[in-house]
Amino acid sequence: MIREAVDAVSAGRAGGAAAGEALARAVAFMALFAALNASFRFLARRSLLVTAREVEQGVRRHLFSHVIRLPLPFFHATPTGDVMSRMTNDLTAVWLFLGPGLLTLIGTSISWVMAVAFMLRISPSLTGLSLLIAPLVVLLSREYGRAFHRQHRLVQESLAGMNAALQENVSGIRLVKAFALEAREEERFGRQCREYYRHNLAVARTSAAFHGAIGFLAGAGVALVLYLGGRAVALGELTLGGFVAFNAYLAMLAFPTMAMGWVINLFQRGNAAMGRINEFLRRPTEFEGKGVAAPGVLPLPREDATGDAGEPPLLEVRDLTFAHETGGRGEALRDVSFSLRKGEVTGLAGPTGGGKSTLFSLLLGFHPAPPGTIFWEGRDAAEIPLPELRRRVALVAQDPFLFSESILYNVCFGRDALDPAAAREAVSLARFRDEVEEMPHGFESVVGERGISLSGGQKQRATIARALCSGAPFLLLDDALSAVDAGTEREIFDGILSVRGERTVLFSTHRMASLSRCDRILVLAGGRIVEEGTHDGLLSRRGAYYDLYSRQMLARELEDSS
Amino acid sequence: MSDGEGFFLEDRVDARGVDWKLLRRLLRYVVPHRGILAGALLSLACGTVCQLSGPYLIKVVIDRHVTPGNLAGMGGWVLLYLAALAGAMGFLYLQMYAVSVLGQRVILALREEMFARMERLPVTFFDRTPTGRLMTRLTSDVEALQELLSSGLVSTVGDAAVLAGTAAILLWMDPRLALVTFAALPVLVLFVELLKKRIREANREMRRKLARLNAFLQEHVTGVSVVKAFVQEGKSERRFDALNGEYAAESVRLTNYYSLYFPGVEMFATFAVALLLWRGGLSLLHGAVTFGTLVAFLEYAQKFYNPIKDLSDKYNILQSALASSERIFQVLDSDVSPEYAPVPGPALSRPSPPSRPSPPPVLPVPAVEFRDVWFSYPRPPAEGARADAEGPPVLRGVSFSLMEGETGAIVGATGAGKTTVLSLLCRFYEIRRGQILLFGRNIREIPREELRGTLSLVLQDPFLFSGTVLENVSVGGNAVDGALSVTGVDRFASEWEAGLSTRVGERGGQLSMGQRQMVSFARALSRDPKVLLLDEATSSVDPVTEHRIQEALGAILPGRTALVVAHRLSTVLAADRIFVMHKGKIRESGTHPELLAAGGIYRRLYSLQFLEASGT
Repeated sequence: MIREAVDAVSAGRAGGAAAGEALARAVAFMALFAALNASFRFLARRSLLVTAREVEQGVRRHLFSHVIRLPLPFFHATPTGDVMSRMTNDLTAVWLFLGPGLLTLIGTSISWVMAVAFMLRISPSLTGLSLLIAPLVVLLSREYGRAFHRQHRLVQESLAGMNAALQENVSGIRLVKAFALEAREEERFGRQCREYYRHNLAVARTSAAFHGAIGFLAGAGVALVLYLGGRAVALGELTLGGFVAFNAYLAMLAFPTMAMGWVINLFQRGNAAMGRINEFLRRPTEFEGKGVAAPGVLPLPREDATGDAGEPPLLEVRDLTFAHETGGRGEALRDVSFSLRKGEVTGLAGPTGGGKSTLFSLLLGFHPAPPGTIFWEGRDAAEIPLPELRRRVALVAQDPFLFSESILYNVCFGRDALDPAAAREAVSLARFRDEVEEMPHGFESVVGERGISLSGGQKQRATIARALCSGAPFLLLDDALSAVDAGTEREIFDGILSVRGERTVLFSTHRMASLSRCDRILVLAGGRIVEEGTHDGLLSRRGAYYDLYSRQMLARELEDSS
Repeated sequence: MSDGEGFFLEDRVDARGVDWKLLRRLLRYVVPHRGILAGALLSLACGTVCQLSGPYLIKVVIDRHVTPGNLAGMGGWVLLYLAALAGAMGFLYLQMYAVSVLGQRVILALREEMFARMERLPVTFFDRTPTGRLMTRLTSDVEALQELLSSGLVSTVGDAAVLAGTAAILLWMDPRLALVTFAALPVLVLFVELLKKRIREANREMRRKLARLNAFLQEHVTGVSVVKAFVQEGKSERRFDALNGEYAAESVRLTNYYSLYFPGVEMFATFAVALLLWRGGLSLLHGAVTFGTLVAFLEYAQKFYNPIKDLSDKYNILQSALASSERIFQVLDSDVSPEYAPVPGPALSRPSPPSRPSPPPVLPVPAVEFRDVWFSYPRPPAEGARADAEGPPVLRGVSFSLMEGETGAIVGATGAGKTTVLSLLCRFYEIRRGQILLFGRNIREIPREELRGTLSLVLQDPFLFSGTVLENVSVGGNAVDGALSVTGVDRFASEWEAGLSTRVGERGGQLSMGQRQMVSFARALSRDPKVLLLDEATSSVDPVTEHRIQEALGAILPGRTALVVAHRLSTVLAADRIFVMHKGKIRESGTHPELLAAGGIYRRLYSLQFLEASGT
């Protein structure tokens, strides 16, 4: 900007009279302004881009915090690839607008205003004429923006689809191979790729057309000025310097005008991406509106409570009926009622799909249980804040998930800090200690993604150790020993029984040998508790439990003794 | 860090300069689309000519018409200018579009090639490569290449053309002033060089941090139920914050460098213009140059310094694209599983009877036969060994045979090698010694499609594809109806609103574990396999469900060979032959009564189980 002002001055003087010093002074000014300009731009860039980075960091943080607090059904319904895509690609798109996009927007706006101001000073009529193209540019930009927004959303969606297809294929690779599904998978993935390709090309076409059109419009302005301005100079209405300066200003506007196209591009993309991010942020977290009204943080249940008769049971489930929201699969649980006293070890038996996993999910608050159905020490679970509720319970799930960290980290996952002594104890109880100590790095051994370096039985024992180590008074084991042999299960069960009295245990298994050692057994079938009692009591009733038992007696598990 | 570890290092962005060999290999993917490339370059050349002629035309207008005040014919020149501009923009459109098509096509081809290759990599590769890493290969790495192809490659050529063209025009118009224009160049180059290295390093570091951040993210999304169950949202958040902060710090460092870079380059460019103005102004005063020349010079000077500004960016794009392509080629260069190789020998297209020179066997050929099979899993490279190093032997001379129509049960403790037997039969891994025969043919001589069409496997982990129940079952084959009713899938599905069209969710997460197993069982049956392989498929199904499946198996097994890794006696009792595995060897085999009568390991196991059960 400054350069052109000086240019005009020097050009004017040079054209009019011989004044070398004036020229030198103008040039010196120009150099000075260039240096100043550079410093300002450095500061502007820095502050703006750094702020954008901070915003990005903040949004990412917020998004992560929010997402991990979304209810579990959300994760069942949303492919991991989609979640990842929003937290990476979409976030980048937002940054690109907030940082470089906004910077360009501000920079070009300033250029515009300044250039137009200077142009007005030189020749208002020429300015008016050359700005005639402005409405065209605006109109074009808006149309373009709309098309671009639509197309970009499609691109982002097909990208997420592609990622999801890929992820699924990698996770199920053995199956793909076993069933020789390579061709089918290639076809499926190829379809996603081509869709992505098609949407990208649509964007490219729009983008190229817009760039060309804007560039042409901007240049047309220059041509117009060249003709009209040139005539004005020839007629003596405008000085030559003024004409040159004016043209230079107009040329300077060409680039920002084109850059506006890019900014609109970024804005639309960022906008589409932010929309996708907001879809997640708008979902209520599972903590919202729950337990907020509870006065203060309630203490954890006392560890050393004496089990006198007047005290309410540790856990009571009353007429619990529950149906999953999705899938339309009917009621998973119907009128389930039972209660557990402190320190009891209760077995949960019953057929697949009988509602065991659903019951566990409800106890942990993964799905909201209807009010007045689950009571912890007499308090309605619906009124207990989720964190407090979950701190009472340590779950060992069917599918053992470990983090790609050390064994120590994984075992201590439920604690606030690493505690090697507690970890060692828990690992011993879970009958995992010898194997851990034989590993090259012992407790510091890293287990790899999803515990890839451990066997199925080792993973299950690690998750049991994790539950024991968390110190929660209530243990929920959801068929957690399916991958260990009967002998190991017996040993682990010994470990669990040794904390009987301190910990309350609800244990679902198909193995009768373990069930027979529980204080009490609940039989859950078809979403109902069909039987309840001790092993011997249930056997003598010759009902559903006896049925299960006699079948298994026939089908005794066969394991190596050594 | 050895090369074998390449896959474990998320972003091993190379510090070395441009690897020409890699670049050449990359360019090979462009060759099929050379027509488009030629088109892009041609439009680029034409566009550049049009663009560069603009300032010259302005000079003509000023010198011929404006300065002398001669308006006649000026309109023509202006129209010419306009035409040049229209040409420039038209070619710009063509070039941009062609470049996008080129980039996207190459990427599409590369991605499909990678996927096809990946599908054929040995199972060991997937055993030791985390999913996230593989995902990155096919997504971010490929995208980095796309950036190179669509914005880097052609526009670099374009920039170079503009630079050369501008320099030539300047030298032609006025060599002395041209040299003045170039005066700032050495300083500028020095400045760029100084920052370039830092920018590159910061860039690399930032990518590494981002990769770690994303790995953490992915893991916590997959394991979110564990985070929730242990109320560790706070801890996860703190750890995420730390990673996020590290990434942000690195990106701020990079931003600082860039903030210095662009204005700096611009400042030097402006200095050059000021210098030009000074020298040119003086020349103008002395009448050495025309006014129009000076104006044109000022325009050209800008065009000259613009591309230089982008050079560092282009270099970065090139660098990271090369690093990405190195990782991509690593996947493409990985050896495919041997079973995908063409089958040696003449037996290729013969459907079934063995055509080996040996005389036709008089005795009936066993359906499945292991002859002294030795096997060990490759040791994971993480343990510091070479990638193909062998671990301890898992199978140590396993021999057994199973006749057609027989059901064989493999029993034994965890880690005895039972699952391995099934994996080897599917040829997921290559055996070290011995032979595995399927209906008398070595499985190495059976084409993959035929081998896997003969076998049907039920995995321990019942993985389902997202889609409906029906889609999952019909993946196996056409015998869907029978498979559905035999396994009872139709029974539990009929209780749902959507029935068999119920969507199972990612990995089958909407179904219970037992239901998933039933579906995966139905899937295996739907292809009506000649040999059914069951790997503890019933281990977490309750006795009632299992009983149902056993009944179903009773209906389906006659006439079909089955090899079952069994943990339950009901399965074992249903078997015609029982193989007792212990520490990688088959120690006993026979029927249930035979083995009991023999009084060996099996007998001991059986009585131990029985005694324990009656003792409670």
